Amino acid sequence: MIAFIILAFVVASVFAYEQYLSSQKSVVVLATTTSTYDSGLLDYLMPKFESKYGVSVHIISVGTGQAIETAKRGDADLVLVHSKKLELEFTNSTYGIHRVGVMYNDFIIIGPTNDSAGINGLTNTTEAFKRIANKGAEGNAIFVSRADRSGTNMLELSIWIKLGMAPSNTTQAWYLEAGASMGTVLRMANEKGAYTLTDRATWLSFRSQLSRMAVLVQSDEQLLNPYAVILVNPEKYPRRNYKMAVALAKFMISEEGQNLIASFIKEGETLFTPIARNLELAKKLGFPDQEYELAWYDAQP
Amino acid sequence: MPFHVEARNLYKEYSGKKVLTDISFGVESGEIFALIGPNGAGKTTLLRILDLLEEPSSGTVWFEGTQVNCSARDRQALRRRIGMVFQQTVLFNMNVFDNVAYGLKVRGENRKSAEQKVIAALELVQLRGFEHKNALALSGGEAQRVALAQALVTEPELLLLDEPTANLDPRNVSIIEEALSRVNRERKSTMIMATHNMFQAENLAHRVVVLNEGRIERIGTFQEIFGKPSKFLMDFARLENIFSGVSRVTAEGTSIVDVGDGLSVEAAFEKVGNTTIYVRPEDIFLSTHPLVSSARNTFEGRIVQISDFGSVVKLKVRAGKDFIVQITKRSFNEMRLNVDSRVFLAFKASSVQTV
Amino acid sequence: MENSLLEALQRAFQPIFSLNQEVLNITLLSLRVSGTAVLIGALIGVPIGTVLGLRRFRGKQILIRFVDITLRSIVNTFMGLPPVVVGLAVYLLLTASGPLGPLGLLYTPTAMIITQLVMVVPIIIGITMSAVGSVEKAIREKALSLGATDRQAAWMVLKEARMGMLTAIIVAFGAAISEVGGIMITGGNIRWFTRTLTTAIVVEVELGNFALAISLGIILLSMSFAINVMLTIIQLRGAER
Repeated sequence: MIAFIILAFVVASVFAYEQYLSSQKSVVVLATTTSTYDSGLLDYLMPKFESKYGVSVHIISVGTGQAIETAKRGDADLVLVHSKKLELEFTNSTYGIHRVGVMYNDFIIIGPTNDSAGINGLTNTTEAFKRIANKGAEGNAIFVSRADRSGTNMLELSIWIKLGMAPSNTTQAWYLEAGASMGTVLRMANEKGAYTLTDRATWLSFRSQLSRMAVLVQSDEQLLNPYAVILVNPEKYPRRNYKMAVALAKFMISEEGQNLIASFIKEGETLFTPIARNLELAKKLGFPDQEYELAWYDAQP
Repeated sequence: MPFHVEARNLYKEYSGKKVLTDISFGVESGEIFALIGPNGAGKTTLLRILDLLEEPSSGTVWFEGTQVNCSARDRQALRRRIGMVFQQTVLFNMNVFDNVAYGLKVRGENRKSAEQKVIAALELVQLRGFEHKNALALSGGEAQRVALAQALVTEPELLLLDEPTANLDPRNVSIIEEALSRVNRERKSTMIMATHNMFQAENLAHRVVVLNEGRIERIGTFQEIFGKPSKFLMDFARLENIFSGVSRVTAEGTSIVDVGDGLSVEAAFEKVGNTTIYVRPEDIFLSTHPLVSSARNTFEGRIVQISDFGSVVKLKVRAGKDFIVQITKRSFNEMRLNVDSRVFLAFKASSVQTV
Repeated sequence: MENSLLEALQRAFQPIFSLNQEVLNITLLSLRVSGTAVLIGALIGVPIGTVLGLRRFRGKQILIRFVDITLRSIVNTFMGLPPVVVGLAVYLLLTASGPLGPLGLLYTPTAMIITQLVMVVPIIIGITMSAVGSVEKAIREKALSLGATDRQAAWMVLKEARMGMLTAIIVAFGAAISEVGGIMITGGNIRWFTRTLTTAIVVEVELGNFALAISLGIILLSMSFAINVMLTIIQLRGAER
């Protein structure tokens, strides 16, 4: 029938048009975490790469777990995440290859300015958490957790484990499980005058909106938050843009990229510290193969 | 063109409910046949079956001596010789001309030749000049007249009408009645019309069938049926001024009926013994002064109740017995009548009906 | 905090009037995605809805009635399907490790159009079906009694239902343009590429950029308002019946 033909024609032309639009430029898909994206670093970094290579970087920002899942499903070309445990699982599964350290930022504990748990100035995160838990049990403190399997969340949970705890809202009324991104959790903590663990970058981005909060605990080695970039194995997903993924990773660990990262400033502070070329620091932060991987990347065309 | 219609033993059932039971009747070619009955009597169902929109559960319909069969093509061909005006006016969302021309259009007639017929049909219902108005913007009366024009424009041999003037004001009613009369006279179209309106049935129809709960109560001419109305008919037709009494015959060939309370009514028939009579409210003349007239029955009385029905007013007058009298609103206003006004009633002996 | 809402409102109007490049990109993408979905959806949904609406007169047998009822129930169920569920389903279809993976459609506007298409077609079918069905009996019988063939009568029913069909399309567009969950999953909310008004609002609220979020909200509300004005006009015209 005529209607069918018209319909087929319309669908085909729309499809063709969309394909035309998307094929305008080569596309590389980077999966990363919401906190990384929300810091603004990537919107700062990527344009330089895009104009240099004439390629479009499509950034999917979700939770760490989801970012890696996305890559595992072959819906991304590479990932930029910060959760060692999940990263290693990824590389062990052979879906991810050539994990290399790029930069780090740190985590801080923020809380209400009246600091009912009295943790201000501590440099021992474990001790700080202990005090929060105790005060919380008395009903004088609240802790908001991201509760979303993100890098931040994993770190937070690892500290509770050191205290022999695995808090949940059902048994600990002072422990709120938000299941949300860092920005949302920060605002929530501000509303409730609660404590939470956050990366410094997001804190700096949102600081102006968080009138009741202050940085209370920092500079603990436990709180260092290293970022890795991992390529998606082209043998698993041959149709992906492996070539550009390699180029993007190379860019991020190149001198130019690293300098750009160091120059990214927000609210007058640098958010990220580059570590790609600092072998000792990289090893310390959990990248034992950094030297090997750097050599491999440098050897790529 | 002759179009004889016959229904034989029609039954219709909807999910266990019997809507029509054993309906049989014949309608002569060129006859106007009225269907009378209360709501739910089955008038609409019967008309829909005759219009071939629905099939009876059992029984047959015969047109022109040929039984209607189920083939869609035959039904469609027959439908083209029949026109129907529905109770709820349905018009298409276009102008009046296109609405009326629709019947011709589906028969493949081109606009030129259709134009004349459409104009003629509109003239018949006095809607010349309305051609370009959107049909949905018309008043109820105008819309129904368009619906009639739609049905008439194709010159159907059989015209079915389902209460065509229900809820219309007197002017529209008379326009439609005149149109129907004319068409029947000039084209000899057969018409079957469901109506609530006794006067309409009396004025227009040659014969009448009374339906009650899906069954035929009576068939006959209006006079035959209303000359001796059944209890059912009296209730339904809301006959008023019903009196029972004893009748004796006079030397002039009339009867005088003593109905009690000192009241005697002279009637233009001969009857002896117990009898029930009634007089229609419209047949009673009302006057504020004693009337000297040819009316045999004159009574003096007092108005005890006034009921306003818009264009007519019904008065209950106590003159020994209570009489319901109907006059026009205009007369009512001119005569300046009130409750307790002293009035004089008069009606002819021939206006007295007997049950 | 109290101040910032007022400030945000004031600053909200700026991007709109200065025709901020990104806001333009976002708005046009919204229109393109929802518009295309509704256009294709109408081409599919209106005919199907019409057939279903007319179905009554095609057959009186029990089997046909049964099919009729089943089809109608299915349509009604799909009309109420949560868009986010549709998004999930489309995602599973288009993911690289899924059945349609090789097409490489995930995280593109095409994926978003597909998502909204699935969402919109049942709505169009449902409303068209209802519009046609509501005039079907009276108009069909009127046409038949005036001598129309079954086909001619069906055509008249369609003509009379055209306002209803238009309503279906407008309602569908309203639903599509304000949808957020499904297209977020299948589009990925990529800046400059798959970010629409609704998904952009989500991300800007996330980042605390309330001024921008409000301006996007104003644009979206204006579109919604325009849609409702159109719907109201149609309904008023139709009410003359």
